[in-house]
Amino acid sequence: MQATTMNFTIEPIAHDSVVIRIGKALDFRNAADFKAAAQEQVRSGIRNFILDFSETGILDSTGLGSIFSLYRQVSPMSGQVVFASVSRPVQVVVQLTRTYKVFRQFPTVEGAREAIR
Amino acid sequence: MSQHSILIVEDEHTLRRLLEYRLGKQYNVRTAANGEEALELIAQELPKLIISDIMMPKMDGFALQAALQEDNSTRAIPFIFLTAKADEASRLKGRRTGVDDYITKPFDIDQLMSRVDRLLERTALFQTQLDAKIGQDFSQKLMPKKMPSADGYKAFFHSAPREHGGGDIFDCSEPRPGVHFITIGDVMGKGLQAKFYAFSFLGYIRSTLHTLLGTTSSPAELMTRVNQVLVDDPPLEDTFASLLLIKWEPARNLVTYANAGHCRPVLMTARGAEVVPYSDMILGLDAGAEFKDTSIVLQPGSSLISYTDGLLEQVMKNGEQLGEEGILGYVNHAAGKPDPIQSLLKNVLSDSENSRFGDDVLMFWLEREGNRDRPSRDPAPRWFSPFSEGAQT
Repeated sequence: MQATTMNFTIEPIAHDSVVIRIGKALDFRNAADFKAAAQEQVRSGIRNFILDFSETGILDSTGLGSIFSLYRQVSPMSGQVVFASVSRPVQVVVQLTRTYKVFRQFPTVEGAREAIR
Repeated sequence: MSQHSILIVEDEHTLRRLLEYRLGKQYNVRTAANGEEALELIAQELPKLIISDIMMPKMDGFALQAALQEDNSTRAIPFIFLTAKADEASRLKGRRTGVDDYITKPFDIDQLMSRVDRLLERTALFQTQLDAKIGQDFSQKLMPKKMPSADGYKAFFHSAPREHGGGDIFDCSEPRPGVHFITIGDVMGKGLQAKFYAFSFLGYIRSTLHTLLGTTSSPAELMTRVNQVLVDDPPLEDTFASLLLIKWEPARNLVTYANAGHCRPVLMTARGAEVVPYSDMILGLDAGAEFKDTSIVLQPGSSLISYTDGLLEQVMKNGEQLGEEGILGYVNHAAGKPDPIQSLLKNVLSDSENSRFGDDVLMFWLEREGNRDRPSRDPAPRWFSPFSEGAQT
């Protein structure tokens, strides 16, 4: 079953893991929606998040902030937030903020699924 | 996709459903069958506008409206009376303080819709104007009163916050004679909230600086402390910020910085512009994050340039963001100009997709003047690795 909010597709892959496909942009316009959607998942017991950035052309600091919030929420519960198929614009932001130390990256969603299983 | 929520209070089932259906296409609608139910719903969440019938069982529209007038949190909610009472007496009674409109049944639904739109537009406009005013006030308070200065140096600064910009911060102080601290940062988020956090955050950085300076003057140690607070302090939870802390000792021509995920500064020397590469993780994410100092000796004629991401993300004519590489090119052109920042920004703008900057732009340019009698013969920048003893000052 897939749930779609404005720009995100959320696909459950295990009892405590989901893949969130970030759409074309995660920025100040939809960061609050992302935050709400992710929080809903955390409330329902999800701990591991694979964020699929294959189509993402824009990630601004507000968007990145909403991912940080998610990380802060799940990391004390041994949860993980990992990035899959990171596009170039997303890579630039991740490099600039040095957050690759916190978010593991995988070339594909499949690779990420294997790793967090 | 509107966040505007409208409350409809109407005892007649068919009319209630009709209004719910029509308004529901554009707004978030809740309904109540009488004043009492309405008050319950309002207590749960304040609506942006109320449309209410007058004649209803239990609690009528007048009683509801009077109750709302008594509470400061509800008295300003736009209120429209909708009623079959066309007679002049009730019309007058309906037109009292706090009632914005009075529509008699039978009514034209399109006319009602346009009145609702207009009322909501007007309240939104008030809000925007108020936000802009407060935001401007914050922006002004966040900006420095005076620039750092020293013999043989020139400092340039530019800040142009946008109405809906974010939380850029800049601060400079000289806590000990000859030792300057320059702070450039960006609190994540947009609008008034980001500005408010930036304002409180800057106050925190200042006090940390002054408290810790007795024991250390290492930007990295200050950064570690600021990060711990962002991670541990409940009021600042969910606040993330990039920060560049620069210690400048003009007598030694020495700059020592720690960079927490902020746009990397540019060093302009006789060799040309280059990115000063070393940086650590952004603040607020990881309590255990470590920060390192890097030192640079500023040779005569060289400059250190720092900025915030509004410049980096400016969209150019080719549809791409300016980026670090792009900035290096413009720095090369601007170096040596009487006001290098203005010259750089002018050139960036003329090559941009739009004629304005899309976001806040903040820039600080510190230039060591060249030797007047003999031109600089030392083109290579000298780095101290953050990992070597040499970085300690």
